[in-house]
Amino acid sequence: MKNRTKIAWLYPDLMSTYGDRGNVIVLRKRCEWRGIKAEIVPVTLETRLSTLENCDIIFMGGAQDRQQKLASADFLKHKGPIVRKMVEHGTPALFVCAAYQFVGHFYKPYRGDKIPGAGIFDLYTEHPGDQAKRLIGNVVAEIVNPHELQGTIMVGFENHGGRTHLGPKMLPLARVIKGFGNNGEDGFEGAIYKNAIGSYFHGPLLPKNPAIADWLLEKVLGSLKPLDDTLEHQANQAAR
Amino acid sequence: MAWIDRLIVIFTKFVSWMSTSFGLGAGETWPGEIALALRPNIARALASKLADGVILIAGTNGKTTTSLMVKTILEDIGESVVHNATGANLLNGVVSSFIRNSDWLGRITADVGVFEIDENSLPVFLRFITPKRIILLNLFRDQLDRYGEVDVIVEKWQNALATLPKSTTVILTSDDPGVASLGTSVKGAVIYFGLNDTPKFLKVHEHATDSTFCPHCGNRLTYEGVYFSHIGVWKCTKCGYTRPKPAVSAWPSPLPGLYNRYNTLAAVALARSIDIPDHEIKKALRNFAPAFGRQEEVMVRGKMIKLFLSKNPAGFNMSLRTVLEMGAKELLLVLNDRIPDGRDVSWIWDVDFEMIPKNVRITVSGDRVYDMELRIKYAGLQAQGEPDLRHALAVKRDTYVLATYSAMLEARKILKGRKIL
Repeated sequence: MKNRTKIAWLYPDLMSTYGDRGNVIVLRKRCEWRGIKAEIVPVTLETRLSTLENCDIIFMGGAQDRQQKLASADFLKHKGPIVRKMVEHGTPALFVCAAYQFVGHFYKPYRGDKIPGAGIFDLYTEHPGDQAKRLIGNVVAEIVNPHELQGTIMVGFENHGGRTHLGPKMLPLARVIKGFGNNGEDGFEGAIYKNAIGSYFHGPLLPKNPAIADWLLEKVLGSLKPLDDTLEHQANQAAR
Repeated sequence: MAWIDRLIVIFTKFVSWMSTSFGLGAGETWPGEIALALRPNIARALASKLADGVILIAGTNGKTTTSLMVKTILEDIGESVVHNATGANLLNGVVSSFIRNSDWLGRITADVGVFEIDENSLPVFLRFITPKRIILLNLFRDQLDRYGEVDVIVEKWQNALATLPKSTTVILTSDDPGVASLGTSVKGAVIYFGLNDTPKFLKVHEHATDSTFCPHCGNRLTYEGVYFSHIGVWKCTKCGYTRPKPAVSAWPSPLPGLYNRYNTLAAVALARSIDIPDHEIKKALRNFAPAFGRQEEVMVRGKMIKLFLSKNPAGFNMSLRTVLEMGAKELLLVLNDRIPDGRDVSWIWDVDFEMIPKNVRITVSGDRVYDMELRIKYAGLQAQGEPDLRHALAVKRDTYVLATYSAMLEARKILKGRKIL
């Protein structure tokens, strides 16, 4: 088993809106508690591509409009192609909220032109118009993919206007029990491709869903010894 | 003021009086709601009766304390002030405060209005009331599920401020880049306040940071130093846009905490703009008592409990820093997720709980007690979970309570038998 790992946190200064940091804190702590050294590598506009290439796990979070514009120019041109290559080679990754939309083919706003995405995930997002309501609230869903996590109940909070539709290369991550999920219509939430997960559960997805954190880590570190997750499960239960 | 406006004031005042007499509630907002339904423009008519006009205070953090300071100073020089009840910071709350202030003939008796305004409804508000002065304190991320993003609010404010006449003086912090940049879009006089206190710069940047990009050209800002969050001495190396020089930068704060120094500077900048001499301001603020739930102290069986309303990452970080500087050894953190708190509790992961030393005892409570306990666990610390707030408040040592809005009201109810004043 490896005893160290590097977690790339993409655009921590631009794409970190609402508790996104919780995900990298959880990844790092769950390594530390097992005696594994985990380094969080901030990857932002000025960061060299080789720094990103040397990482083992990728995380990217939500963003405000202006910040996302700054990040997207850089991502589409520089970091995106590297992330795509890494995901294709099986690097575990987590994309939440805006990042989830952004790794798809495009985002179609209700007015104006399509905004291109990085095309790492076979999916697209469209905004159904300014009369359509934002999908906001606590969400509960049952994981359907990957099979190792099947049946696990995941909880979180969603807040998005766009509706995301998966292409044939993607598998849905979970079936919505309470809330809206990808588009509020087909009953699915999130998506998975190889070892990369996308989800609308924004901000701190991993703290109350530690099984997903460990699944990502095991893709790099191999089988991990279990931790005492009593409190994690209590918090998960309470949010249902 | 037309007779119809006065009639509506008398009518709603009577209904409100009946309701209070029969113990149906004080009516912080609904008398105004009724009046507005009958007469949508009533706010303008009411405000026109104030000889010295209206002063508005908006911002994510500090508006209650700042407006109370402004009110204290104005009352000290003999002004009669109409002021909205804390939390009632939408148009209906402001109209309700006029109704409460009026006499039974429907006449407004105050000289001046001092109102704290919800940051999101400021633009709507400015359509109905034209203030003589307006203080804009800061903008931090707060309840994204309700308010939307910080940049969006800056833009809304900018458009709303552009409609104000030349006679409105705008008082802005120089140290929040987004707020400072609003000074370029107003017609009236602009007064900046900010800190020049280099030793108070943070050694390490906090995580809960919002606008660190140039409001003009979008380039990353360079900070000579940060006081907290994105508040500091900044400039843009690309387009040259620089933090405006503050006209008011030093004044002893009557309350601990860096954020209260900003609140004080804002109130002093306002007082000076209406030519109140410094010695008067000093005298007025000497005995300033904090607003409820803002560093409010309660004694319970010989133990001190101090309440710190902490409702967003920047505010929570500031509260934590302040109580630790005050030597806190016992913390109670209370997290609720009701409408006034915001339904989304994700933001606790942006608070730097890691700054709490290991020898401080932490208890957590509230509707989302396990979320908070989990956050503390991942900060490498230990917390005692106590879902029952009543038990959590039965303290054995002096305790500092950091609580979200509805949690703070609940704590006050338990400690003092009533939620507000």
